[in-house]
Amino acid sequence: MASELSTESYISHHLTNLTCGHVPVNEKAGITESFWTCNPYMVDYMSFWAFHVDSLFWSIALGGLFVFIFKKAIPKDIDSNTPPKGIQNFVEMSIEFVEDNVQSLFGSVKNTLIAPLALTVFVWILLMNLMDLVPVDFLPVLAGYIAFSLFGYNAETGSGVEWLTSSDSLYFKVVPTTDPNITLGMAFGVFILTIYYSITVKGAKAFIAELTLHPFGKWLIPVNFVLEMVNFIAKPISLGLRLFGNLYAGEMIFILIALMLFFSSIPVGIIGFGLHLVWALFHILIVALQAFIFMALTIAYLAMAHETEEH
Amino acid sequence: MEINATLLAQAVVMIVFVAICWRYVYPPILAVMHEREKKISDGLEAAKKADDSLEEAKLAFDKELDQAKAKAAEILDKANTRASKIVSDASTKAEVEAEKIIASATTAIENETNNAKEDLRQQMSDIIINTTQKILGDEISKEKHEDILKKAAEEL
Repeated sequence: MASELSTESYISHHLTNLTCGHVPVNEKAGITESFWTCNPYMVDYMSFWAFHVDSLFWSIALGGLFVFIFKKAIPKDIDSNTPPKGIQNFVEMSIEFVEDNVQSLFGSVKNTLIAPLALTVFVWILLMNLMDLVPVDFLPVLAGYIAFSLFGYNAETGSGVEWLTSSDSLYFKVVPTTDPNITLGMAFGVFILTIYYSITVKGAKAFIAELTLHPFGKWLIPVNFVLEMVNFIAKPISLGLRLFGNLYAGEMIFILIALMLFFSSIPVGIIGFGLHLVWALFHILIVALQAFIFMALTIAYLAMAHETEEH
Repeated sequence: MEINATLLAQAVVMIVFVAICWRYVYPPILAVMHEREKKISDGLEAAKKADDSLEEAKLAFDKELDQAKAKAAEILDKANTRASKIVSDASTKAEVEAEKIIASATTAIENETNNAKEDLRQQMSDIIINTTQKILGDEISKEKHEDILKKAAEEL
């Protein structure tokens, strides 16, 4: 850690994403032509077309890990005569768990997409949440050193990436689910599926009727539409923000506890160590619970898209 | 904390992963699980069937055993009856035979006795006639006094 690091900069360092994006022309700021950059000082000038590279990296890496584990768990030459062992047991247990949940929420409706979707969402979010249990400084500092040693700016030769002047100038957030873009992105995916199945299963007419003829009947269609729309839009937003809020708060507390270790006297540091342990243990519960809630709600929303309400 | 294109990227990534899971990851695992489930339930059913047939076989065995026992007892009974009958038959026969033998022996003895008596009588009459002839000369002959001799012999 650099000596000039303050409490404030430590926290903001941990809460800022590594962002690569498009900076449009901005006369006020003296930007005369648009360009793409990962420079953290340009974040404020970036347009919508900016990507949180760290979040997406971990998201894809953990999603890939999920696919890899679940694909490897069942070897190609396996048949039903081989007793399951090791990771296969875990994989089958997860699938049974998901199937049970889908069965209880979905009932008789047969849709082969729902269970794999629920499984992916559950395991993926669980893995992303679990990144929260990696001590807050390990991976960002490691990533900073690697990035600096590979692309660091050398003032003498002028080589390397201009803004990467030290290993601290790289922001790197490790827990994708503490990024609202990630959680809302997944909620958005669920939202799209909800609309798709609403239209294909119920039919466009029934879907529109559901949004407009309820709760006040056909004479108050605009009011109905506004009310139902709020209800309809609130679902994915609450789905995404719930996960984000829980994990963000958890991450925040980890950062504050980490502050006790770095910026205080030794006794406070020891207390902080104990607190970190307690919070990590408690956080395991949140990690699993939030993954489960996201999965259960995903199934529930899709179940709603499959059944025609009766008024 | 701003919302940006990361959201869209994540939605796309999610759809890709869900599609991969849906198409390539989930079905083979589920297939193996279902197949094994079926195999286990089949096995359990077969075990139950085997149990049932064992029970049946036991019952049949017991029944057969009882029948065999009953039959054996019957045969034994019959044999006993038959044996005693044979024995009693044999003894009856033997008694009858013995009586017969005794009877024929008695008859033979009687015949012998009668023959002996006849002989004796014959000899006696001969002796008497001879003696009388000697005493009375030839006045008396066997032929002349046939009647008297016969009478005497009968009296003897």
